Parts: sequence; structure tokens; C-alpha cells
Amino acid sequence: MLELTLQALFTGILFGAFYALIALGLALVFGTMKVINLAHGELILLAAYIAFTFESVAGWNPLAALPVALIIVSACAAVIYLLVSRIREDRELNSLILTFGLAIILTNVILMTWTGNVQGTGWNWAHQPVILAGGTLFAMNAQVLAGVTGLVLVVLLYFWLNHTWYGRAVRAVSSSPDAAKLMGVNPRRTELLSFLIAGVLATFAGIALYSAQTVTPPLGESLTITAFIITVLAGMGSISGVLIGGLLIGIIEALTVTWLSSSLRELSGMVLFLLVLLVFPSGLSGLMASIKTLGRT
Amino acid sequence: MLKQLLLKTVAIAAMVACSSAALAQEQVIKIGTHEPLTGTMARAGNGQQDGIKFAVAEANEKYTGKYQFKLVTIDDESSPAKAVSAVEKLASQDVVAITGGYGSSIVGPASATAHDLGIPYITASAIAKGLTDRGFDNFFRITNFAGYAKAMVGYIKMLDKRVGVDTVSVLYDKNVSTAQMAKAVESRLQKLGMTVHMHGFAGGTTQFSSLINKIRIQDKPDVLAVPAHENGYIAILRAAKLLKPDIKAIVAGWGLATVKMNKEFNGLMQGVAGTGFLSYPVQFTNESAKMFAQQFQQVYGHLPDYLTLYGYVPTKLMIEAIVQAADSGELTSQRIEQALYKTDQQTLLGQVKLDAAGDNPHFTQRIGQHQGDRIEIVWPESVATAPVVLPGRPW
Repeated sequence: MLELTLQALFTGILFGAFYALIALGLALVFGTMKVINLAHGELILLAAYIAFTFESVAGWNPLAALPVALIIVSACAAVIYLLVSRIREDRELNSLILTFGLAIILTNVILMTWTGNVQGTGWNWAHQPVILAGGTLFAMNAQVLAGVTGLVLVVLLYFWLNHTWYGRAVRAVSSSPDAAKLMGVNPRRTELLSFLIAGVLATFAGIALYSAQTVTPPLGESLTITAFIITVLAGMGSISGVLIGGLLIGIIEALTVTWLSSSLRELSGMVLFLLVLLVFPSGLSGLMASIKTLGRT
Repeated sequence: MLKQLLLKTVAIAAMVACSSAALAQEQVIKIGTHEPLTGTMARAGNGQQDGIKFAVAEANEKYTGKYQFKLVTIDDESSPAKAVSAVEKLASQDVVAITGGYGSSIVGPASATAHDLGIPYITASAIAKGLTDRGFDNFFRITNFAGYAKAMVGYIKMLDKRVGVDTVSVLYDKNVSTAQMAKAVESRLQKLGMTVHMHGFAGGTTQFSSLINKIRIQDKPDVLAVPAHENGYIAILRAAKLLKPDIKAIVAGWGLATVKMNKEFNGLMQGVAGTGFLSYPVQFTNESAKMFAQQFQQVYGHLPDYLTLYGYVPTKLMIEAIVQAADSGELTSQRIEQALYKTDQQTLLGQVKLDAAGDNPHFTQRIGQHQGDRIEIVWPESVATAPVVLPGRPW
């Protein structure tokens, strides 16, 4: 059982970090603008299909698609922002409807362009094993790559938000747009920047996704749901919360499959989500704040 | 010269008049179909549609001067709601019967609407158990999940004789059809005295490392049976190839022994078997099937595949039933249904003899195994195109 549990923890950590990567862009936009971009999963999927095109048409490695995918996906994210920014009333609610509609359009564009067939990479290296701890822990190179990319981008984003002028500007706009204006920050430009960075994060997530698993056009919806659950679990806009939330869900799912039944995998993630929100309505960031307060007293 | 030209003109005019008169006497009969020509199941829908069109063209040639069949096609966009609407539209266009449809979740509501509207409905692509338990006298199907389960168990029995199989782990998608198939496989294997471990997973699951590891360490099976769908197969096989459980073979349900999987995931598929009616490249054994394949290739420029047969066979049977009803002078739903209940013939999908529920208990799928760039039929041995390669796993 110990061997099974260790493998489950290892798998859970890798998938959890990847879940965090999926949620990162959504959490950033949510934190900055209080807008839930329901087309975020489709942006990830778009990047995955661009990688597929590079591989299937040109015969290139999926990673080579990164520069082109960055431009296309960030441009799409910018278009979504321009449309969302035109909403004058009830932006939180109306943006949900708008981005939901955009998600449907994107799904159908992907379907018409790339058909409904299941696609996966033929990149051999991606599926070669990484064996650790004397043959106790196994993972595919692509899974390790996806997990490590998730961890690195969480750290970079955290650093950017806390230690750069633009990052502080994003946080200032998120706290109070009017106060930020008084400090010389342009809220529109800052919000656009958030969307562009979300597009960049979606691109990395999409290429990691295509390298590690298969893609089909309806996948965008479930990616958005995963990202949404982790964002809410994390607490509004909390980047460290996103990582902890992703890891918790990844680990709980893997342990459920190992200790209980594979049928309960999704349920376990949802139970954890509801329990955390029941006890800490502001999510894991609320929990972390409580721990900090306790530490001070 | 002028006289000769005049004679020729008169002769051509007479021929045209005669053929026009013959055409005028032809009874035009509309047959409807709803297929997922777009959407997530577009590949299957378009494949079936070729078979349906070929069956209609063949019938029009066979019954020239007597009946002319007109196919009315509506794209259901892979959506159950749109399939229901398609059936309503087909009814408003006076079709006498409906053929085709793809997937139990779509055929279920579509055929229920056809039942309400009193239109006979036949399909080869909806295998869920409950579909023939509804008491509909208008619903007929050629294939069923029992035929798929029979094939998976038959293959495992064959493996048992060759290399010995005591334990089987069944990894199944909890979707209705695959779950039913898994349960049927479980009960049949238990009756054979085998130990069966069941592992259900939600459709869309993409990580199987923990589950395969559990199977590897705890179940220690001889065979891995996987009734699932394409993306599930790929994820499971990748995880299995990573963890390399000590198994003798892997056998899957539908959607694995296909040309697409062989071409696009060749390395991952080697040795893996799955239900599939035709080998690749297609090899037909009997003369009528060879002739069908040749004619189909002449029209479409490629050989027929299983989807073609899933469109062609039910449509052909439906047309024969319509002709019987029309010949009796009473082209009604009841007459067509009565004729279908009397169906008992060998088809390209094996024997078809429909029971009182409209099901075909004689249906038995075959098992194809990926062997290099080919898919060989390895079970039943009576129709095998090559011997099974063991161990049947991609590592």
C-alpha cells in the first residue's frame, strides 16, 4: 500500500501543478477585473490545436508552436478583453454571458477547423518514462514537463505581481480602480495586460496539455470548469492559493483512485471543494489569512 | 442521309417517351435519415451516410421502373435534441421509414419520436440495452452490446486456451453503453470461473497512472479489458506502457481497432485488440461481399469500412421491407414493420434475424488486433485473417 500511496502522491503533485497552470490565467483575470472568463478553457485548447497543426502539418515538435500560439492566443484574449470592456452595466454578470457565448463560438471554430477527432502528439520523448526512487515512482516526461511548467509559472506570476511596477499596478486596479488612477495607473491598459498575460499562460497550458494527453473540441468546457473550481477554491485572485488548490485537488483525486475507487475520483475533488468553501467561504486564501492571524497571536 | 437522320431522331424520341412513361409509373418512396454530419461524431456520421446512399442507389438500380427511392437527409449535428427535431422534420416530409442515426444517446430520443409519429426506425449504431426494452414496435437494430460483450469474452476465452487466463481487470467508461458492456463481460467471465476486478471511470478522465499502478500491484491481472472510448484508450495505453503491468493482452471495445488509431497512434496500439468487424486493409471473404466492396470503391474511390456497413446493411433491410409492403399494395408502417420482423438473412454484418423486441440476438462482433500497419481479425477463428500475436500489448 505504501508503494501505491507514494505513486498516488507523486501523480497527484504533478497533476495538481498542471491544474494550477490551467487555472492561473483565469485566476489572474478574476483577481484583476472580477470577470470570470468562461472562454479560458477554449483559449488553452486553441493553443493545443495550434501545436497539433505544427506537428501534423509541418512535422515540427509541438514546442515549436509556442511563438505562433503565443501571438494567436494572446490576440484572442485581447479581443475577449475588448468585448468585455464594452460592458457598461453589471460587468460581473454580463461578462459571464458574453464569455460563455465566446466559448461556444471558439469551440465551434475549433471543431470546424480541426474536426471532432481525438488528437494526441506523436512526440516520442513526451511519453518516455521518468523513473524515480529506485523504480517506485513513474511519470511520463510530458507530465513532469507540464507539472514543472505549472510550478515555474506560478512562482514567476507571484513574483511579477508582488515585485514589479506592472504587477503592483494590476493589484492596485484590482483593489480600487479609482485609487489606482490617482496613482497614475491606467486601469484599461492594466486590465488588457492581465488578459494578455492570461493568454500567455493559456498558451503554455495548451501546449503542455497537448504534449501530455489527447485533445478534442469539447475539452475546453471541462478545462474551464477545472480552472473555475480551483480559482474559487483558492480565493479571489490568490496566486499561491491557486497552486495549493490545484495540488490539493490533484492529490485528493489520486489518493481516492488508489485507496477507494476510480469511480469516486471526480466526486472527491468536488467534496473537497465544497468542504473548504463551507468552512472558509473566502477559499484557501481565507484559510491562509486565518493561519497568519493565529501565528501573530 | 436525311431519311436516316429522321429515322434516328424518331427512334430516340420514341425511346425517351418510353422511358419517361416508365419513370412516370415508378412509385416514388421517401426514406429519411438523420446523421451526425457535423459535430463531435461527424466522422462516424459521414462514414455511415456513404453506406446509406450506396444502399439507396443500389435499390434504385434494382427496382428501376417500379420504385424510386428518394433519400431525405438531415444533419443532427451530433445532438440528441436536433435529432428529435430532425425526425419531426422527416415526418413532415412524408418519409415512410427512417434509417441510420449514430450513438445510443441520440438514437434513443430520435427513435422515441419516430415511435410517437408512427414511423419505422432501423439502425446499426445504437447498442445500449434499454433501447429494445421500451416496447416500441417500430424500432429495429442490427447490433447490440451483447454482441460486443460476446466478442470480448470470446477473445479472452481463446487467450485462456493459449496462455491461461485466471484474472481479468475491467477498466470501463461509466457511460451507459460501455458500463453495460463491462457488466456483461464481468458476468460472462465470472461464469467461466475467472476472477474479475471492475474499475469504472468518468468519461473525460485523462490520468490513469494511479489506477494502472493499483491494477499492476493489487489486481495482477492476466488480461486488461477496456470498454471505453478513443481518448480513454489512448490515456490508458500510455499509462500502461509507462507502468508496464505484467499482463498477457489488452482487449478494448469499439473505436480501437480502427484505421485512424492504427495510423495516428501506431506505436501505442501494437498488439492491442478491440472489437471491429473488418480487417485493414479490408479483406472480404465471400463473393457477394467482394462484389459489394468493388462496386463501392468504384463509386467512392475507397474501400468500405465498418461505418459503411453500419449505414448500408440496415438501409438495405429497410428497403427490402418497404418493397414487400409496397408489393402487397399497402405501404403502411405496420406492413413495413411486419416485413422487418420476418427478416432472416445473412448480411455483411452476419446473420440478421430480428426478435419480438426488434433486436438481433444473432449479432456477434469480431476482434481485430493491431499488427504493424495492419489490423487483422483474430476472433472468431473461423473468419480470422491472421493468427493472434501474443503478448497482445504495446511493450
